[in-house]
Amino acid sequence: MAEMILVVVEQREGKLNRVSWETLKGAQALAEQTGWTLEAAVAGSGVNAIATEVAAKKVAKVYDLESTKLEPYTPDSFSFALKGFIDQKQPKLVLMPHTYQVRDFAPKLATALNRALISDAIGCKYEGGKLLFTRPMFQGKFVADVAFTGDAPYFATFQSGAFRGDQVEEGSAAAAVETVNIEIPDGVVRNKPEAPFKEAKQAVDLTQAEIIVSVGRGIKEQKNIELAQQLASALGGEIAASRPICDSGWLPMDRQVGSSGQTVAPKLYLALGISGAIQHVVGMKGSRSIIAVNKDSEAPIFEIADVAVVGNLFDIVPPLIEEVRKAKGI
Amino acid sequence: MMVFRKPLLNVERPQMEADIVIVGGGPAGMACALRLSQLIDEHNAKRPDAALSKDNIYVLEKARDVGAHCLSGALLDPRSMRELLPGFEKEAPLDAAVVQEAVYYLTRNGKFKLPITPPPLRDHGNYVISINRFTKWLGSKVEEAGITVFTGFAGTELLFEKGRVLGVRTDDKGVDKNGEQKSNFEPGYDLKAKVVILAEGSRGSLAKQLINRFLLDNERNPQTYGVGVKELWELPAGRIAAGEVIYTMGYPLTFHEYGGAWIYGSRDNLVSLGFVTGLDYADPRIDPQRVLQEFKKHPFIANLLEGGKMVRYGAKSLPYGGWWCIPPVAGDGWMIVGDSAGFLNSQRLKGIHLAIKSGMLAAETAFEAMTKDDYSLGVLDTFQDRVEKSWIKEELWPVRNFHQGFDQGFLSGMFHAGVQQISGGRGLRAHYCNHAGHERMKYLADLPADGGAAAHIISAAKGDGKLTFDKLTDVYYSATKHEEDQPAHLVIHDTNICNERCVHEYGNPCQNFCPANVYEMVEASDTPSGKQIHLNASNCVHCKTCDIMDPYQIITWVPPEGGGGPNYEGM
Repeated sequence: MAEMILVVVEQREGKLNRVSWETLKGAQALAEQTGWTLEAAVAGSGVNAIATEVAAKKVAKVYDLESTKLEPYTPDSFSFALKGFIDQKQPKLVLMPHTYQVRDFAPKLATALNRALISDAIGCKYEGGKLLFTRPMFQGKFVADVAFTGDAPYFATFQSGAFRGDQVEEGSAAAAVETVNIEIPDGVVRNKPEAPFKEAKQAVDLTQAEIIVSVGRGIKEQKNIELAQQLASALGGEIAASRPICDSGWLPMDRQVGSSGQTVAPKLYLALGISGAIQHVVGMKGSRSIIAVNKDSEAPIFEIADVAVVGNLFDIVPPLIEEVRKAKGI
Repeated sequence: MMVFRKPLLNVERPQMEADIVIVGGGPAGMACALRLSQLIDEHNAKRPDAALSKDNIYVLEKARDVGAHCLSGALLDPRSMRELLPGFEKEAPLDAAVVQEAVYYLTRNGKFKLPITPPPLRDHGNYVISINRFTKWLGSKVEEAGITVFTGFAGTELLFEKGRVLGVRTDDKGVDKNGEQKSNFEPGYDLKAKVVILAEGSRGSLAKQLINRFLLDNERNPQTYGVGVKELWELPAGRIAAGEVIYTMGYPLTFHEYGGAWIYGSRDNLVSLGFVTGLDYADPRIDPQRVLQEFKKHPFIANLLEGGKMVRYGAKSLPYGGWWCIPPVAGDGWMIVGDSAGFLNSQRLKGIHLAIKSGMLAAETAFEAMTKDDYSLGVLDTFQDRVEKSWIKEELWPVRNFHQGFDQGFLSGMFHAGVQQISGGRGLRAHYCNHAGHERMKYLADLPADGGAAAHIISAAKGDGKLTFDKLTDVYYSATKHEEDQPAHLVIHDTNICNERCVHEYGNPCQNFCPANVYEMVEASDTPSGKQIHLNASNCVHCKTCDIMDPYQIITWVPPEGGGGPNYEGM
């Protein structure tokens, strides 16, 4: 058993998923606590550039697992490739971001190796020789520390926003990149991916946004959404909403933040006319900075806001757009 | 434009043949399935040459997990469980045996303890349970016995052929809010069954279809209901003993409303507390969730909860009309058990043991049909006799007039209860009648503008975030979750009544009686009243209060896409 942590970064259609940096940051912190080596791997076809990008960070080594059968993504090909690789390397711990893709293949991969998987963790630590992972329970109201009881390799995934991806440490020199050609025999891949669903194609992944301008009931009418959209565009962010707005069909449902929508953790979350019911707050409380604009000075959103603006959003937003545009020269 | 849920037309549905389909995996349905399995096992041991199969016996459960939609206090009278599984106490999740009980009458700031606990509320020998965990355990027994439980599937329609029930249609999955098929559309199944056993719980939606179609409520008292609003609290150690039981009457209700509270001490310093408000109050502004919040503000309760933490919330209606309200429980191709039929003892505030017993009796009836291979009305109708000859009737008959005695309010109710107590349940009349609860609701114009004596329990609770909670926060703690992109499952047959009539006549009481903030009147430019009904259907906790209490009876609760609903883990 190698004293090694392996981070499997995610790529989709040849592009690194930025949430991988968060997992890498978490892994770097854990490597420091444990003294274990940190290595990374990316699987795909022709993804050497991604491996090189990851190698610039503070990691001992990066593996580029290559096979033409890894593009497009299928759960069969990914779990097969990673199973063989992990079996051979025998890392202590395998860490992955908790993305849709990982959710798809990770249970299969762990089961194939007869190992346990702790999913959707929001933190981890090494205490008394034991790896402890923190997981949300009861829709984020409680957290529990859980540990593995069986044998390594252990598998764990981190929720989006668990670590600061922008704080991932750079390496002093580029790490070595080793290309591993994976042989995937015919018959292994039983899945035949179709074109992505139309809905999925349009869907915005709010978890990737660095700035989110979010609107609630206070926006009053559908036509006023445009105002928030202008602010989002000026800031270079995405527009999102609380449930009533998407429920009314003023914005598509994939823009809904909260317990029945997306959980987001952008650098900046601007809440316009959102009262801050607990159902919404659980979906955005991990945001780095929260600016809330609301007429009601007692609105619960102010309890978690870093900047509280009590006032009418229709008075505040238009000049704000002007200022942002001025500052950005647009 | 709101689109309401109904089974899609013109889709080809998979057909499945079944012997027996039990709709609802609560205590009644699970007890029924388990008893049936036991009888089949005994039969097959004796008659291997004529073995019966369990392969075509199914339980449909709309919750994602067994027990997730089960809500009760709960106290379990073990009588029926001892018959179903002798020695069940050794393995069932029972939290505490009742060690102490007390009944209080509350005034605004004071309390009077009844010098003796009235016999119906003596609970020694009963157990404090989490009905969620209890049902989950019972469900695991059913699955171990080899009976298939379909979780995440709701029965949405009964299939009829003339006067006979032919089977059940399950919910369509993957329908969007406009009623169009999504890419993951899966039509509901048509389960053709020899017998359908309805065990849906209080105000079952299929039971309602059945009762309406065959006029089963003819010559019966209308069923009356209450809604129990519950919170589970974690208290500092030593506040309430495990197995301690407290009932209260009076405040915050006035003499005009029926209801009361329970407080049950469970293990690990968990305390179940809740308030049942009778769904027959007059003031449309009364809010049962608010009633619970006001109850907690009473000094007696506030002191008890001081420093504690609310961890779970839920609400569910319960039928407490009693014996005179129970419809015929068997017919051609069907039986009704548990709360769906109204097997609940309102004087003792208990129904789980009766639900289990009725499920067992239905199983015995179904078993007889299986062995005779005769599923005709003649055989199924024996369920009626089995109930009449069982201790269900023995228990319910003496309290047959109890709840109706309260038709004219608390004081005359206590008088009638007293007379009934000394006359074997008869009271002043052989058969007390009553009204359906929603008929008692009064127009706003006939009520004091400020709410009068009920001023403290009308309109929404604000909540301080520690002792009391606004409704939306409470709803969060029910962990209810639904697919958002689906038609509304609260079917309002005429929204013009909401927007144009109710808004003036009753002030849209749906906003108040719904304990989950499903109903909302929003500003609208195109209605004369300037208001328009809006449904937050995904907040629904499946309590059925709207279906029961709507004064115009234009709301029909139908199951949403299977798997949606509250998650009453540990409740």
